[in-house]
Amino acid sequence: MNIALFLQNILNGLSIGAVYSIFALGYTLVFSILGIINFAHGAVFTLGAYCTYALAVGDFGLNGLLAGLSMPFRLPFPLALLGGSLIAGITGVLVERLAFRPLRAKGADALLALVSSLGVALIIVNLLQMLVGAEIYSFPSDIFGSLPMAMIVKVGGKVLAVRTVQIIILAVSMVLLVLLAWFMNRTRMGKALQATAENPETASLLGINVDRYIVSTFFISGVLGGLAGTLIGASFGLAGPYFGVSYGLKGLAVIVLGGLGSIPGAVLGGVVIGLGEAFLPPDYSSLKEAVAFIMLFFILLARPQGLLGRQTIQKV
Amino acid sequence: MPLLELDRVSVSYGPVQAVREVNLHVERGEVVTLIGANGAGKSTILRTISGLARIGGGALNFDGKDISRQRPDAILRLGLAHCPEGRQVLARQSVEDNLLLGAYVRKDLDGIDRDLESSYQMFPRLRERRLQPAGTLSGGEQQMLAIARALMSAPRMLLLDEPSLGLAPLVVEEIFSIIDALNARGMTILLVEQNARLALKHSHRGYVLESGQIAATGQARELLDDSRVLEAYLGA
Repeated sequence: MNIALFLQNILNGLSIGAVYSIFALGYTLVFSILGIINFAHGAVFTLGAYCTYALAVGDFGLNGLLAGLSMPFRLPFPLALLGGSLIAGITGVLVERLAFRPLRAKGADALLALVSSLGVALIIVNLLQMLVGAEIYSFPSDIFGSLPMAMIVKVGGKVLAVRTVQIIILAVSMVLLVLLAWFMNRTRMGKALQATAENPETASLLGINVDRYIVSTFFISGVLGGLAGTLIGASFGLAGPYFGVSYGLKGLAVIVLGGLGSIPGAVLGGVVIGLGEAFLPPDYSSLKEAVAFIMLFFILLARPQGLLGRQTIQKV
Repeated sequence: MPLLELDRVSVSYGPVQAVREVNLHVERGEVVTLIGANGAGKSTILRTISGLARIGGGALNFDGKDISRQRPDAILRLGLAHCPEGRQVLARQSVEDNLLLGAYVRKDLDGIDRDLESSYQMFPRLRERRLQPAGTLSGGEQQMLAIARALMSAPRMLLLDEPSLGLAPLVVEEIFSIIDALNARGMTILLVEQNARLALKHSHRGYVLESGQIAATGQARELLDDSRVLEAYLGA
């Protein structure tokens, strides 16, 4: 492998891995606070991507109830990204209201929310299909304004392609991770959120309104999901309303590999799987979707709690 | 008017009635102890007062306000703090962060600073360990942290659930001298204890709970001399 190809793989792996990390953080935040997986997260990811597309490009394609309509305005990509992510965040809050809170209020087994969140996911995905059809949407090439699609860099006589969207992904991810780390470890809200994650009952005795923090967590999780969906959509296009399903499963692999409920674990897991996919030899590219799970299998053999997961100690 | 008043309070877990028509009151400045066997419903009563368990029937008043349908965070804001069984410190957060989270409901930054300093004066060992994760403290230190954290909300009344549980005798002595000191500064305390004799020695009044019902009540001194109580709960 020459140095240019090596660097290319690193770049591709890091940029896709960063998106996996952002997406998986959404899973892990909800998991750390409720101890269950929100199966609607993949649908929120998809919805965020479609909303950004609608805000930035403004058309709704040729199929579905919105066929032929167009938005009365177009937003520049950064604003559309913000708008799409906020809508995804609000959807996250709705998911909590519909699929999680009613069960929690009745003291039902937490596992039941797996099923209800899966139900909400199906509703979101099918609503999308009804509204905009199952066709493929791609962001146009001028989506980043005057920025070129890619830059060609020569390394040792070989060509290295740096796509603009990759730079954007890496920049957005860095900012997001720094913000999240600051929020969780340096603010009163972040510490209260950690307290709620560690022990909701104790948190409520400290005067923390646990329900409000659960809602905030779903909002942040939804924003992260929508951001990830948009960034994937901007890289590879929106391959129909079901395109979030495979990312949803991959996101699960990421958090289990990194360690359930661990924030650094989700980041590391995403990067590891992204790099693993990027370094897959081209002859085996049909196995790309399986890479995450093959890596998961071998890493769990060595570390059942995941890369950065805490060993659970059962108290007697 | 008592600071805390339970009037025929009942609590059920599903079909099981854990607490039946309990009448209990605590006056301002009192230390009152609730004793009884394991499973008699002592912790359930504290959990009901602080809003963790849902009240099934009866009335629950704190400082003249009905708190029977309030959330735990709202009850804490009224000035009623609950230091739960098993200490429940936040193991991954530092000692100081635990204390600061105790002041979560307060906005007066100067007051919080002052109370943090007085916590450290009352518990010098917590100052030594202020940056350590709370999970690395010894059992006694964790209990002190749990009490200090409850006090950081600047409450008017403290519910203390089994503060001596699993602690060495010397540490238990220390915990009870802290309870005396708090009461001397005017803190009203409702205490639940396995160690009934010691608890009654440090209390004004007591209630004896049996299968979810009040079986006896009186001045702590009287209960200590009562042959029935002595036999059943004090292991004499």
